[in-house]
Amino acid sequence: MSEARIAVPESAPAGGSSRRRLRDWLAQERVFRLIPFVLVEVVFLFVIIIPFLLMVYISFLKWRANRPFEQAFLSGFGNYEQVLTAPGFWSALGHTFYFAGCAVVLELVIGFVLAMFVSRTVRARGLYITIFLVPMMIVPVVVGYNFTMLYIDSGPINQLLAPFLEPLGIDPRIRWLSDPAAAQWAVILADVWQWTSLTFLIFLSGFSALPKQLINAARVMGATAWQIFWRVELPLLKPAIVIAVVIRSMEALKIFDPVVLLTAGGPGTSTQTIAFYLWEQVWVFNKFSFGAAASILLLIIFATLIFFGIYLLVRQSAAVAQQRAP
Amino acid sequence: MAQIVLKDVVKKFGAHVAVKGVNLQVRDSEFLIMVGPSGCGKTTTLNMISGLERPTSGEIAIGGRVVNDLEPGERGLGMVFQDLALFPHLTVYENIAFGLRVKKVAEREVDSRVRAAAEAMHISPLLAKRPAQCSGGESQRVALARTIVTNPAVFLMDEPLSSLDAKLRVDMRTELKRLHARLKATFVYVTHDQAEAMTMADRIVVMSGGVVEQVGEPLEIYRKPASQFVAGFFGTPTMNFLSGKIESANGGLVFQASNLRQRLAASLPSGLAGRNVVLGVRSEHVTVGANGGTPGKVQLIEPLGAESLVFFEFGGATPLVAKIDPERSLDTGDNLTFDFDPAGCHLFDADTGARLN
Repeated sequence: MSEARIAVPESAPAGGSSRRRLRDWLAQERVFRLIPFVLVEVVFLFVIIIPFLLMVYISFLKWRANRPFEQAFLSGFGNYEQVLTAPGFWSALGHTFYFAGCAVVLELVIGFVLAMFVSRTVRARGLYITIFLVPMMIVPVVVGYNFTMLYIDSGPINQLLAPFLEPLGIDPRIRWLSDPAAAQWAVILADVWQWTSLTFLIFLSGFSALPKQLINAARVMGATAWQIFWRVELPLLKPAIVIAVVIRSMEALKIFDPVVLLTAGGPGTSTQTIAFYLWEQVWVFNKFSFGAAASILLLIIFATLIFFGIYLLVRQSAAVAQQRAP
Repeated sequence: MAQIVLKDVVKKFGAHVAVKGVNLQVRDSEFLIMVGPSGCGKTTTLNMISGLERPTSGEIAIGGRVVNDLEPGERGLGMVFQDLALFPHLTVYENIAFGLRVKKVAEREVDSRVRAAAEAMHISPLLAKRPAQCSGGESQRVALARTIVTNPAVFLMDEPLSSLDAKLRVDMRTELKRLHARLKATFVYVTHDQAEAMTMADRIVVMSGGVVEQVGEPLEIYRKPASQFVAGFFGTPTMNFLSGKIESANGGLVFQASNLRQRLAASLPSGLAGRNVVLGVRSEHVTVGANGGTPGKVQLIEPLGAESLVFFEFGGATPLVAKIDPERSLDTGDNLTFDFDPAGCHLFDADTGARLN
């Protein structure tokens, strides 16, 4: 029947006939439903596949962006060898894991505690939630500027710390942005300040979703507040914890804004993260092929970690689905 | 001894008064069922006994001890919740052991008591499973085992059978009655299902709008409802109600509606004459085919097996329903005559709904 409908009359002009045939072909159910996928595939091809293949290609070349591309030549795994033997790469990777580890742990703990308190608060709950979500909504440049002000030697942070540090005989004038160890923590704390909002939000939704009857059941059975938290609430919050860990870890490994805005990787290279290192190699030193090789290596390292995180997430989701099955 | 006494208990949620001065005595070892429609205050009352809600005013005593200020865990109760509230992350064994472990009972004793409770509820093979792997009936037994393992003197149950299918619910009713007979503990059970209340309770508390409408044994509630609300709540099909007036006739009293005249029991006080009332009569007290009865016309017949329900109109506001022998040959549209058994007639005040006879 559909063939009869799409049959082209013999008298139709040739150009119009092929256009109509194409239109009729596209209008067919089996073709039409594939159109969105084709569009997505095209976008995927141009936005991801082609640039990725280009990057792989460039990673095997010897080329600096300040020289003509015609002078580029294939150098095999030379760039990879350079990256793997560059002390800056490993040092930046180490800083990245250090920053991400410290920041994510702090964000998880603070976000969890805040969410716990807010979930138990009845009055002005909406106000607390709004206040705790504000940092996440602020543009990173503004955060960087604000923290630069806060971190100056005679700034408010040192003023606040002075009464605690002076009795211990510690110089209260901490050089947050010029001492290597303090600068690392300056970057971490700025990240914690901005992104604790996200973990707070994840944990708050977790606390809100806890079934009240389970907590009531535990109360009737004589469990103390601590026992209810430890034996009932915390295990049931495991999926929220895993989600927060995975999402924040993936983001924290790309830490870049506070480094650029606060320390520019310094003093020395003490706050250089891998994202900053790559940016510097590519855009300051024009080492495009070196940057491409480093990116591929990072992709392998981070993808392994992310897949492990996703595996944890899926396993957790499956366990929750099984627990909640009727 | 686990007698529960509620004295003038009131519970307010903001401006809304959920429970309006309940006075109630639950006897030791009694199976008391609180029944009523949604929002009548029965679950709130149960929650106040459990300690999950604090009364706004009034006093609650369990075993002679006022418990108003005690935490739920300090009241010596066991509770089964509507959705059972089994911990999904724990195995059946750990669920049953939970109440003992939080009280730091020695692990050896925990083990023996958990296994004994599981044995009693026939769920020993399920101990290693998680609640999600148990069927509805099994989960029900796990919830009961978790409650009996701590040997509470009082069991509180908040519509625990509502999530089960009809057949399983009937089976579990029997199971609960057996459990009560074996444990001899005080059971306070909340339901909106009058059949559950009738079949299991020693006594029933009927609640409506935050007040106790009637407390009594199941048959007493069924046969002598204290108000039109109670009369309408209990019994399937619902009691027939007719609005009318009581008049004196031939030295006795008759009920007079627009197109129905019904003689009433001779024992009624003559002082009722002239009052506007609602006459209530259950379907089994409607005699179909009575000589000299009121004429009516069959609208619908519902065969139930052992009996049939015949719905017929007679010119009144609503059709009446009668229980008849299923072998009786009646069909939709047939004419019939009907009469009421005077002993089965209930009279309620037209304004207040209070019982008059």
